[in-house]
Amino acid sequence: MTAPLLEATGLGKSYGTLVALKPSDLRLNRGEVRALIGSNGAGKSTLIKCLTGAVTPSGGSVLLEGKPLPLGQPGAIIRSGVSCIYQHSNLAPMMSVMDNISMGRQPTRFGFVDRKTQRTQVQDLLARYGIDLDPDALVGTLPTVKQKEVEIAKALAQDAKVLLMDEPTGWLAVSDVRRLHETVRLLAAKGVGIIYISHMLDEIFAVCDSLTILRDGEVVTERAVDRISRTEVVAAMVGERLARESLAAADSGRKATGSGEVRLSVRGLGRRGVFRDISFDLHAGEILCITGLIGSKRTEMIHALFGSAPHDAGEVLLNGKRLVPRSPAWGMANGIGLVPEDRQHEGLMLGMPIRDNLVMTTLRRFHRFGVLRPRGIDRSVSSLIAALNVQPPRPAQLVGRLSGGNQQKVLIGKWLARDPSVLILDEPTVGVDVGAKAEIYALLRAARDRGMAVLVVSSDLEEVTTLADRIGVMNRGRLLSLRPAAGITRPELVAEIGADA
Amino acid sequence: MPSLSSRLTLPVFFLAVLAIFCLIAPNFASAGNFENLMAGYAFIGILAIGQSFPILLRGIDLSVGAILALVGMCIFDLSLMFGVPGWAILPLALLVGTLAGVVNGLMVTVLRLSPFIATLASLAAYRGLVYAISGRQLVPELSTKPITDRWITGFETYFDLTRVLGLKGVVKLPWVPLSFLILLGTLLVFHVLLAHTRFGRDLYAIGGNPEAARLAGIKVGRLTVAAYAISGLCAAIAAILLVARLTTSTEGLGEGIELTAIAAAVIGGFSLTGGTGRLLGSVIGTFLLGIVLIGLTQMGISPFVQQILTGLILLVAVGNDRLQTLRADRQRARALGEVPA
Repeated sequence: MTAPLLEATGLGKSYGTLVALKPSDLRLNRGEVRALIGSNGAGKSTLIKCLTGAVTPSGGSVLLEGKPLPLGQPGAIIRSGVSCIYQHSNLAPMMSVMDNISMGRQPTRFGFVDRKTQRTQVQDLLARYGIDLDPDALVGTLPTVKQKEVEIAKALAQDAKVLLMDEPTGWLAVSDVRRLHETVRLLAAKGVGIIYISHMLDEIFAVCDSLTILRDGEVVTERAVDRISRTEVVAAMVGERLARESLAAADSGRKATGSGEVRLSVRGLGRRGVFRDISFDLHAGEILCITGLIGSKRTEMIHALFGSAPHDAGEVLLNGKRLVPRSPAWGMANGIGLVPEDRQHEGLMLGMPIRDNLVMTTLRRFHRFGVLRPRGIDRSVSSLIAALNVQPPRPAQLVGRLSGGNQQKVLIGKWLARDPSVLILDEPTVGVDVGAKAEIYALLRAARDRGMAVLVVSSDLEEVTTLADRIGVMNRGRLLSLRPAAGITRPELVAEIGADA
Repeated sequence: MPSLSSRLTLPVFFLAVLAIFCLIAPNFASAGNFENLMAGYAFIGILAIGQSFPILLRGIDLSVGAILALVGMCIFDLSLMFGVPGWAILPLALLVGTLAGVVNGLMVTVLRLSPFIATLASLAAYRGLVYAISGRQLVPELSTKPITDRWITGFETYFDLTRVLGLKGVVKLPWVPLSFLILLGTLLVFHVLLAHTRFGRDLYAIGGNPEAARLAGIKVGRLTVAAYAISGLCAAIAAILLVARLTTSTEGLGEGIELTAIAAAVIGGFSLTGGTGRLLGSVIGTFLLGIVLIGLTQMGISPFVQQILTGLILLVAVGNDRLQTLRADRQRARALGEVPA
């Protein structure tokens, strides 16, 4: 066997005592398409960031064609031939395809950009890899799949020998996915090594040669795709024994459809081009989890329920009364609360103390003749801090200085304080440690047992199977299935989430 | 590159406004009036060219008026207090303006201040510096003395276009001020720089997507400093032209002019979200504001109403910019609409 194209040895990353990636090895040959899979927090993105230079690994080394890769220096890594195509666009939309492909490296003649040579170079490159693009088209006007091809061409123009593709099909239509896969196979045939990150098992089995599965920060399986079955992949991803155990533990308190009283009823909700035909009932006293891939439009859907994003079809009934969600203020007035996904940008005032953050949603309760009553606020805040177990329990502490878990508790607490009849949460435990996760689950279960209707959107399958009374799966803007959580196994969920709808 | 029709929108609109004023405003279509327009707005056009660079990079330079005053006062001091000959003053003036711009750029890149805050601070600081070094305050008897150095006053020269073209007696064309020719020269140089060199393409890349530019090996920090330096350099050129016209300088020179320059660049197509625009647009934007103001004056409309109208023009330009962005977003959303197939 020849020497591998890319060889990572003992690559690891830890933040203080938290180990994000245990020392791992990864080899990639010329012309190989290697899938990298694992659930959220498995260390996948840390591994990728180590390879792109976005993160400096705590240990280990990477060789590219036998030469060490300058770890931790994104620019130098790209120049040595490792490029990454991110899920979000890395192009300048108002510039031409040609200028994007040769960004920062246009050929010059007497100090002027040599358009003729630039055009020939770009056309040669496109022809060599069989990519069909108009060099003069404005990138911002191209459809998404074409933009992905521009990014690929841009990476190739930088002599990329290794391409990392991070969920490249997240935004693509089915036919476009096929088209992209053809391009990927073509590149592999030309000797480019590709690391393909995806949640979609169908895609992995369609386009990849081999796969590496990560779980809890370490490589658990490395195999050629034709020598492993889907069930084996899923088992390796989630850890079958663990899955069964936590399922049993969570099953005890579940009550599918809660008290049976329908709180929120959604009928045929849709927004053109985003999601459609969303229908479900949310009962008092149940936790309904909706899961799916990033880009399956779960977030957009719940924002439409709350009134912070528009919808153009269907209706929403709250306690049997028809409502037209218009604005967040409207949602709040009707007893709906929404805990947004991004606590740093959408959820919290990081530069303000815990106290101010916690009372933000309930300030009107503390008015007397238009003036705030500080004593009432203080009393409410102390009892909330105690109930939420925020550490440190000091109302004056700036929220930005709290740990992720405690920030999240403040964020959820600020909505629980309103005691809404419907509480919607978007990814409630992202970047939260295990202890705080358990506390948040307990808070949500307690709210459910008080009769609140809880709707949780989450990509974390462990969270979904632990927390939910019922589970819904969204896939490409549609609610694919909805059923009681008891008895659903994670492999079944994974299959539905990644289904080629 | 934007499509041809969107490129032509501004020139056509400009010509339409020009035609309307020629028809309805008394004495508007006269040679003397066009001389005034060219001489009075050439320096603003140069400021707008300079301003386009920070805006292209998603930034802004609020300090150009203060830099203009700083350079103007340096010329005043050097010429009248120290008797430095004009040929030596000119390069020094350009240097002062460029350095003031470099300081802005360093505040944005090294100190990582937002361009708005950084240049708001330097606006105050530079203006304060003007008062501190003002020859008018230090040597009071100089305040009534005009600058007479030919190297400087020579910039206030007019060329008889009618005679140059040999059309004497046929038509009466406006005399062309040297400042207008300098504006055209500045436009040409910076246009070539922006449209036909790596430097220029790199600036568009940074404005379009800073992260992508950084990953493409573009020296984002260095180019950002260069963009602010160009803005400062243009302010210095504008200062020379203005001082030549006034034969003196004052502490309040160019106060508030930054807003006109920003408006001209934005009207000209430099989106505040960066990454797009052409310098010719900024110059057309300047003269669009110019003909509206001069035209309305000649129609006897109150200066306050004129300011409101200037605001409205800016609003329409920015609104149009916003509209284009929204339309592009909607198109993209429609492309994504294929997703739930």
